[in-house]
Amino acid sequence: MPLPLYTLEAGQVVEGIKNREFSAEEYISQLLGRIEKVEPKVNAFVTLNKEEGLNRARMLDKKIRDGEQSGPLAGVALSIKDNICTKGMKTTCASKMLESYIPAYDATVIKRLMSAGAIIIGKANLDEFAMGSTTEFSRHGPTRNPWDISRVSGGSSGGSAASVAALECTASLGSDTGGSVRCPASFCSVVGLKPTYGLVSRFGLVSYANSLEQIGPVGRTVSDVVSILNVIAGSDENDHTTINSNKPTYSLQERKGLRAGLVMEFTEGADPGVSKMIYNAADTLEKQGCKCEEVSLPSVQYALASYYTIATAEASSNLARYDNIRYGFDMNPEGYEWNSYFAKARSNFGEEAKRRIIVGSYVLSSGYYGKYYLKAHQVRSLLKHEMETLFKRYDVLIGPTMPILPFKIGERIDDPLKMYLVDIDTVVANLTGMPAISVPAGFADGLPVGLQIMADQFAEQTMLDIAYLFEQAAKVQRSSEL
Amino acid sequence: MVVTREEVKHLGWLAKLEMSDAELQRYTAQIEEIISYLNMLDTIPLEQVKPIAMKKKFSELRKDAPENFEDAVLGTRYRKDGFVKGPRMV
Repeated sequence: MPLPLYTLEAGQVVEGIKNREFSAEEYISQLLGRIEKVEPKVNAFVTLNKEEGLNRARMLDKKIRDGEQSGPLAGVALSIKDNICTKGMKTTCASKMLESYIPAYDATVIKRLMSAGAIIIGKANLDEFAMGSTTEFSRHGPTRNPWDISRVSGGSSGGSAASVAALECTASLGSDTGGSVRCPASFCSVVGLKPTYGLVSRFGLVSYANSLEQIGPVGRTVSDVVSILNVIAGSDENDHTTINSNKPTYSLQERKGLRAGLVMEFTEGADPGVSKMIYNAADTLEKQGCKCEEVSLPSVQYALASYYTIATAEASSNLARYDNIRYGFDMNPEGYEWNSYFAKARSNFGEEAKRRIIVGSYVLSSGYYGKYYLKAHQVRSLLKHEMETLFKRYDVLIGPTMPILPFKIGERIDDPLKMYLVDIDTVVANLTGMPAISVPAGFADGLPVGLQIMADQFAEQTMLDIAYLFEQAAKVQRSSEL
Repeated sequence: MVVTREEVKHLGWLAKLEMSDAELQRYTAQIEEIISYLNMLDTIPLEQVKPIAMKKKFSELRKDAPENFEDAVLGTRYRKDGFVKGPRMV
C-alpha cells in the first residue's frame, strides 16, 4: 500500500500535483482527515481553514489542468502561527484581547507564500502574543507534544511544530523572538529555522519584541525549510529593517570540511541525556569530514538577563496599544470612565503577558534605564563581538537547542523564572541577530533532542549545508505514532 | 525587598492593568524573583562597551501614508453615527 499523501515532503507534494499523480484537492482532503483524527490529542490549531483551503486546492488543480504555471510551493499546505496576519481569517494571538480580530491585510510572508501556490490549512496555536516556551499560555489550552501527549510541545510556536510533527500539514510558519521556532522544533523533533534579523519581513507579524524577532519556517526536513525560506526571504518596503539586497536563493549542497565550534557553556548547562546526544552529533559531523572543537562564549551567562530585559521592555510598549475599542472582545464602553475601561478590559490579558508588561514597565521606569535597559544592550553588543570573533575561526557554532527534554504539562507553569531559564541556548541568536536552526538529533529516554546550529549574519547557506549534512548522516525518525 | 507590592500596584496602574489582591500578591513575589535575576546586569563591568544601536535614518523610512480599510473589518459593534464608541473621558 502506498504511503498516505499526508506523509509527503513539500517537494514531493509539488511534484505529485504538478505531474497529476494526485490532485491538490485529494491532498488537502487527506490532511483534513488526518487533522480530524489527531487534533483532539494534539490541539495544534486555533482555527481551521477547511472550505477556503479546499477551494484554493480546486483552483490550483484547474490551473494545472489548464497548463498554467503553478508556483514553487503549489499545493503545499501550511499551518500559520496565529500571530501572523491573514486577511479575512481570524488572527487571535491566542489572546482574549484579539479573540475576534480579523485582519484587513495579509502579512508580506503570507502574500509571498500564496503567490507561490501554498495553501493555508489553519492558524496554529501559540503562547499568548508569543510569550512563553511551552504553548501552555494559550487561551485555547496547551498544544501537546505528538511524541508524548502528556508533555509540552515547546513554544511559543508549539502549534506550528506539533502540527508538522503530527502530519497535519506539510510545513509551517512560526515566529522566533527568543527561540520560539527552535524550541518547539527541538521538542517535537522537526526542523525549525530562525533567519538572520532583516532577512524576512515582519510586516503583518503582531509585534512582541521588534528588535529580536523574525518569522521562520518549520518543516520535517531541511529541504522543506529551504523551500519556504526561498519564498519568504527578501527585502520589503513595509519593513524597514529588511536588508536591501538581491533576493537570496538557498540550495541543498553536500559540503565537506566545514569547521564547527561546540559551545561548551551550552553542553555544560544541559541535562546529561541531552549533552550526550549533542556530543554524538558532533561525532557524526566529524565522521562526515567536519572539524569540531569545543569553544567558549563567556558572555552567555548574561544572555538571559539581557534578553528578558529587552523583550519585556519592548513587550510592555507593544502591548500598550490594546485598548479593546476597535477590535477585541465584547465589552460595552457605555458607562465607563476612560482609565477604568482600559484597566478592566486589559485585565483580560493572560498571566504571562501581564507579568511581562509589569516587568517591562519596571525596567523602563525612570532612574532604572542605566541599570537594566542600557546594560542589556551592552551585553548584546558584547555577545555579538564574541560571536563574530568565533566566526572568524569557525563556520558554525553548535550545541543543544534546548538544555532539557520536553517536560510534563503543568510542571513549570507556576514558576516563571524557572520557565525563562530553559531559553538560555536560543536567545543568543536573537540578541545578536544571527541565524540559527534546530535539527532533530535523536532521542534521549524516548524524547526528542534538537541540535542547534548557528552561523554568522546572512550565512544561512553555510548553516543549511551543515544542517543538511547532519540530517543525511543522522537519519532521525521523522514522525510520531499518534 | 527588591520589589514591593505598592510598586507592582503602581506599575499596574501605569500600564492600565486591573489586578485582584490575589493576583497582586502572586505577581509581586514572582516579579521580585525575576527582577532579582535581572539585577545581575548591574554587576558586569561594561563601561567600555557601546550598546547596539539602530543604523537607519528617519529619512530612509517609507512614507507613513494612511490606507483605507473597509469599515467592516472593525470588530466592535459599539458604534454611533459612523464612529466607534469609546468610554467617556471624564
